[in-house]
Amino acid sequence: MVRASLMLLKDAGRGVCKSLSQILVCPLSKQPLRYSEETNSLISDAIGVSFPIKDDIPCLVPMDGKIIEADDMPKTDGAADLSSKNNQ
Amino acid sequence: MALCIPLPSCRFRHRPVRSSLERQELFGRIAPVYDNLNDLLSLGQHRIWKRMTVSWTGAKMGDCALDLCCGSGDLAFLLSEKVGSNGKVIGLDFSKEQLSIASCRQGLAPNACYNNIEWVEGDALELPFLMVTLMPLQWVMGYEMWLIKKEPCRRCSRVSVLDFNKSTQPFTNLIQEWMIDNLVVPVATGYGLAKEYEYLKSSIKEFLTGKELERLALQVGFSNARHYEISGASWGTW
Repeated sequence: MVRASLMLLKDAGRGVCKSLSQILVCPLSKQPLRYSEETNSLISDAIGVSFPIKDDIPCLVPMDGKIIEADDMPKTDGAADLSSKNNQ
Repeated sequence: MALCIPLPSCRFRHRPVRSSLERQELFGRIAPVYDNLNDLLSLGQHRIWKRMTVSWTGAKMGDCALDLCCGSGDLAFLLSEKVGSNGKVIGLDFSKEQLSIASCRQGLAPNACYNNIEWVEGDALELPFLMVTLMPLQWVMGYEMWLIKKEPCRRCSRVSVLDFNKSTQPFTNLIQEWMIDNLVVPVATGYGLAKEYEYLKSSIKEFLTGKELERLALQVGFSNARHYEISGASWGTW
């Protein structure tokens, strides 16, 4: 019952409690983190590193971070426009 | 009392310490028996010390509290009771094994206010928080917590630390070393953790004394700092 209560505190489909996600930052860059539902991880776009969430616990020890390959980084609007122009 | 963080560049002696990875692995290894050993080695007194430490934070209903090096969560649970359902407690540790135990205890606990605890795996020397977003709050630091070297949070209200004490009295230190050698380590040996607890003696030698800790706290911005020796000066809280 306690576990169910814990889950209700989280956003639907989110691995981290909303109030916690608002105060967590990248331990290295101190910049905000972005939650990735696809990989259930916290992304530091500032330095291109992702931190896993395991058993609902964000793992934010610097050594836990994995460098995101360039192809996996989210494309900006500019990059997407450039890509579509090249394909024409 | 404001919260301190950066360690000044060194009025105090530089001391070699175990690497972060070594410490992380050590606490991971002792995690399964950590609580039992605490009970055994302190004859249950650690529960009293922890209540004292939490009471000195002044945490109250609705507050936000941060427990650094929370281990299996003893202090976080006590803070949770203080701040209540409208408050928030964040327990941070760099041992996933310790956090796993803390999380299990939370799930099994009947107390609904424990829902206000969130666990974060992190390094106290590389905190994943912007300090300004945590104000106002109380900090509680657990065992083996060194003063951390990060940006100061000058507007946090209180910090309370519980740890082994490095006494200025040679006889007290001698008694402490004897107890570690002849009680702590033999008991830990029974759990297959002799090496993990043997490090305590050399680790405590690297600690600052109570007076040095008070001076350091004032130096980095606290308005007031007080160190108390407890349990025959083997432990200290400040």
